[in-house]
Amino acid sequence: MNRAEPLILGIESSCDETGVGIVRGGTLLSNTVASSMDEHVRFGGVIPEIASRAHLEAIVPALDAALKEAGVTLDELDGIAVTAGPGLAGALMVGVSAAKALAVATGKPLFAINHLVAHVAVGLLAEQVFADGLPENLGALLVSGGHTEVLRVRGIQDVQMLGSTIDDAAGEAYDKTARLLGLGYPGGPVIDRLSREGDPKAIRFPRGLTQPKYMGTADEPGPHRYDWSFSGLKAAVARCVEQFEARGEEPPVADIAASFQEAVVDVVTAKAMLACKEHGITELLLGGGVAANARLRELTARRCASAGITLHVPPISLCTDNGAMVAALASRLVMDGAEPSSLDFAPDSSLPVSTVLLP
Amino acid sequence: MSRPLWTAVFQVADVDQTQDLAVRIAQSLRAGDLLILSGGLGAGKTTFTQGLGRGLGVREGIISPTFVLARQHPNLPDGPRPGGPDLVHVDAYRLGSAEELEDIDLEETLDTSVTVVEWGRDRAEQLAASRLEIELERPRGGDETTGEIVLDFEDEDEPRTITVTAFGERWEQAPEWAVDGIAVPQEGQQ
Repeated sequence: MNRAEPLILGIESSCDETGVGIVRGGTLLSNTVASSMDEHVRFGGVIPEIASRAHLEAIVPALDAALKEAGVTLDELDGIAVTAGPGLAGALMVGVSAAKALAVATGKPLFAINHLVAHVAVGLLAEQVFADGLPENLGALLVSGGHTEVLRVRGIQDVQMLGSTIDDAAGEAYDKTARLLGLGYPGGPVIDRLSREGDPKAIRFPRGLTQPKYMGTADEPGPHRYDWSFSGLKAAVARCVEQFEARGEEPPVADIAASFQEAVVDVVTAKAMLACKEHGITELLLGGGVAANARLRELTARRCASAGITLHVPPISLCTDNGAMVAALASRLVMDGAEPSSLDFAPDSSLPVSTVLLP
Repeated sequence: MSRPLWTAVFQVADVDQTQDLAVRIAQSLRAGDLLILSGGLGAGKTTFTQGLGRGLGVREGIISPTFVLARQHPNLPDGPRPGGPDLVHVDAYRLGSAEELEDIDLEETLDTSVTVVEWGRDRAEQLAASRLEIELERPRGGDETTGEIVLDFEDEDEPRTITVTAFGERWEQAPEWAVDGIAVPQEGQQ
C-alpha cells in the first residue's frame, strides 16, 4: 500500500445522499453525489426504506462516474473507505455492503470511517481550509438534518463531543417548523429565503436550555451547558400560528420564519461560542448541510470575529454529505500509518466520535 | 377494538413535572409493555419519553426518533433498574400503515423492551395485547388569552394535560401513579 500518497475511494450513504469520492493523498480527484431528496419530498422527510433502495440504485452509477471523472481504475486504488456510522442503519448498510464487496473483489484494504470526523477531515484536502494540517485549538460545529454538535478536535484521531441536541437536530426543527407553516419539505432553504422578508424581532421565541439550571457556570457547568433543545421552540411556533388561526387571521409567516430562524441561529452560535471560549478553541470549522444557511453563516462569522476565533467554512459541496470527505479521512489515516478495518465489522448507527476508524 | 379499562388525567405545569410523571409511570413498566403517544408537533412526546428513559434506567441520549424512525436504548447495569427492560423509541409519523410499521421489526425487541411509539395511534395497537395510550395536549394558542396576540414566548412554562388510557389485561389493576388521576372509575361499561 502506498502510504505516502494513497489513492483512496470513499463511499458515503449515512442518510439520503449516495456519495463516492476519490482522493490521492490530499488531492481531490472526484466527488460524485446522488441524492434521493426528491423521492422524500412527498413524505415530508427522509424515509429510511426509500433511502436504502435509492442508495442501492445509485451506488454503482456513482462509483462508475467517480472512477471515470478521476481517471483511475479500481486496480490502481490503495484502499476503499466507507462511512460506518453514525447514520440511518439501513442506509449505512448499503454503502458498507458495497464497500465490502469491492474490497473482497479487488483484494484492497477496507477502512470503516466515522461520518462526523469525516466532516472535519474534508478540510485537510489540498486548497481546502486545513491544507497545511489541522490547526491547534480546533473545534467543529456540525449542523444538519440529523446532527447538531460541537466538537473539540485535538487531532484527527482525538475528537471529543462537547455538546449536542437533546431532542431535534437543527435541520429537523426547520423541517417541522416548515410543516407547521405549510411551507413543504425540506424546510431549511424556504425558511432561510422567507426570513429575508420578515422581521426577526417580531416574535420572541425561546432559546432552549439557556436557563441557569441547565447552564450552570464555567467552573460548575450545569447538565446541558453546551447542549441544544429545539422542542420548546417548535411548540412555541405551533402556539403562535394557532392564535392567529383562532382569530381567523392569516399568521405572519415571514415574521414567524425570520423569528424562528433567529432563535435557532442565535442559540446554536451562542452555545458554540461558549464551548469554544471555555475550551480554548480558537479555530472553528462549520460543517453539515445547514452550513448553507445564509443567516447561520453570517452570525457565526460575526460572533467568531468578535470572540477572536478564526472561522473555516468549506465549499457547500464538501459541507453536505459526500464521499470525498470519507476518502480524505481514510487517506490521512493511511498516511499516519493506520491499519485497515477487519472485513466483519457492522455499521453502527450511533457510532461515537471517539471511534474514528473501526478496527 | 377493546374497551378502555380506565383513564387517568394529569395537569402538569412544566417540563420538569412532565418528566416526573413519566418517571413514576416508568417505574411500573416491565418488558413487553407497549405505550402509544399522541399529541401534535411540540406537544412534548420526546420530552415525556426522556422521563420514561430516566425511570427505566436506560442509556441516555433519548432524542427525536423522527430522523431514524426507531432507536434502542439498552438498560444500564449501573442504573436504577439493573436487569430491567430496554427502551425502544419509535416515530411512526411518516409510516402510512400498520404494515409499514411491521417493516421496522419491532416484534424482535418487543418481549425484552418497553416499546414507545410516537404517532402510533391506529398503527401500533396490534403490536401487543395490552397497551397504555398517552395523549399530551398543550393549551392551544389563542384559547386562554383575552384575544391579545402573544408575541413573546421566551420564558413560557410549558403546561400540559396528560391523559393516560389503559387497554388490555395487563392494566386491569390500575398502578399507584394512576390512582390520583382517575376521577371517575369507568366500571360497568360493558
